[in-house]
Amino acid sequence: MPQLDYDVLIVGSGPAGSTTARFAANAGLRVLMVDKRQELGAPIQCSGAISRHALEAADIVPDDEFIHEAIYGFAIYDERGERTVHDYRRLKPDEYGSGGGKKPLGYVVDRRRFDRHLMTQAERAGVDVWLKTEGLGYTPTPDGRCTVHLRRYNQEIDVSARIVVGADGLQSQVGKWAGLQTHIKITELAGCLQFIVDGVETEGLLEIVTGHRWAPGGYAWVFPKGNGYAEIGLGVIATMTKEPAKDHLHRFMSDSFFADRFANSRILEVQGGGVPLASPLRTQYADNMILVGDAARHVNPITGGGLHTAVAGGKIAGTFLSGHLADNLPLRSDALSAYQDLWLSAVGEKMWKLYDIKTDIFHNMNIAERDSQLYATMSDYFSPTSEFKKI
Amino acid sequence: MSKQQPVIFDIGWNACINCGACIAICPQEAGFVSPFDTIAVDRPCDIACLLCEQICPVDTIRHRPAVAEVTPAGAVGR
Repeated sequence: MPQLDYDVLIVGSGPAGSTTARFAANAGLRVLMVDKRQELGAPIQCSGAISRHALEAADIVPDDEFIHEAIYGFAIYDERGERTVHDYRRLKPDEYGSGGGKKPLGYVVDRRRFDRHLMTQAERAGVDVWLKTEGLGYTPTPDGRCTVHLRRYNQEIDVSARIVVGADGLQSQVGKWAGLQTHIKITELAGCLQFIVDGVETEGLLEIVTGHRWAPGGYAWVFPKGNGYAEIGLGVIATMTKEPAKDHLHRFMSDSFFADRFANSRILEVQGGGVPLASPLRTQYADNMILVGDAARHVNPITGGGLHTAVAGGKIAGTFLSGHLADNLPLRSDALSAYQDLWLSAVGEKMWKLYDIKTDIFHNMNIAERDSQLYATMSDYFSPTSEFKKI
Repeated sequence: MSKQQPVIFDIGWNACINCGACIAICPQEAGFVSPFDTIAVDRPCDIACLLCEQICPVDTIRHRPAVAEVTPAGAVGR
C-alpha cells in the first residue's frame, strides 16, 4: 500500500520537476512526483541544448548517458547567410576544447535519457515516482495542507500533501486548477518543428539562422546531435505567416543558403512543440501551490531555451520548499510569494529584461530593420561579453 | 471571438506529432484535453477562437460546427 501522505507532491517529471524533487528530498522532505507518461522526455518537444554551467549549477554531472554531443560555441546567421561566430575554442583556447583539461561550453542532450537520468537522481535522493499517473486537481484542506486528486492506471487516488508543485510543462493544467492567469498570446507562442537528420555536417557549434524570410517571428536552427546526426528546425509566430511551421521548414531546407548543405539529408525523426517567446508568468503561486519550469513559463524569451531555466528554477523551488516547510511557514497564497521573489532575483529579472528586448524587436513592423535588429541581438546575446550569458 | 458558434475539433492523427502546442495556446479551462496531448476532440468548444488551428506546426487541426452533432447524418457537409 503506497504512502498517501507527503510533504511535496510534484506534477510532472521533466527537468524542472525532477530537479525540484531532488533538492527537496535531499533536504529531508518526503516527496512524491507523478507523471502521466510511460516514458519521460517523449514525445520530444525540445532541441536539447544546455550549457555546462547550467548543469553544474544544478548539481548535474554531465554524463555520457544523456549527452548527444558537446558544444563549443555559436554561429548566428542573417537571412542571406552572413554569419557571426563565437567559437569558444578560439576565444578562450585554454579553457574550452575537447583536449585534456579543457571543457565544452555546453551540450545537446537526449531528452529521453536526460529526463530519465534526472528522475533517477531524484529517486536515489529518496523521491517516490509514480508514472502513468495523471493529476486531476487539488483541494486546500482546513488543516493548511491540500489533497491532490490523481488517476493512476485508471484508479483514482487522493494523496495528502503540504504543497503541490506544478511542473507539468507549457500545457500546464496545475496553474489552471488554481485559476492563475496562464494564458499565452498567439503572438508569443512559436510553433516549432524539427527534424533529426543524417547527412548534414556540423562543427560543434549551435547554429542560429535569423530572418523573417525563413522563420517569421522566430528563428531557424541547426544543432549537432551526435553520431554524425544533426537537428534542423525552426519556430514561427502564427500571426506573422499564413503557413504552418512545416512548410517553412521544408522551404528553409530546400531554398535557403543551406540548400546544398542539406541536399543529402535524410530525416530520422520528426519533433515539434510550442515554444513561448513570452514573459514569465506574473503570478507563479497560489494556495498550497507553486509553478516551476515551462509551467511557470521559465523560458528564455529570446532563445526559447527552457532547459537551463527549468533546472535553475527547480533548484530554487526545491531549496525554497525545504526552508519554508522546515520552518512550518504557512502555505496559503501570500506566504508563497517569497518563492517568486527568490526566483525573480536569481533569474527572473533578467528574463523580464530579455522579454523587453525581444518585444521591442518584434514591435518593429519594418521587416528589414527587424531582421537586422534580431541578427544583432542574437549575435550579441551569445558573445562572451553578453551580460545575459548566464541565462 | 465571443460570437463564434461552438465547434468540435477534428485532429488528423496521421500528421499529429503530439507536440502539445494546441493545449499550450488554448484559453479553455483545465481539462479540455485529449488523452494524446492535444485539445479535446470529444466535446464542443464554445470559445471557438481557433488559435489551436493557427499554432499547429503541422496544420492538422480542423473543426466542424458543434450543431452538426444533433442533425441527421449527412445534413452537414464539411
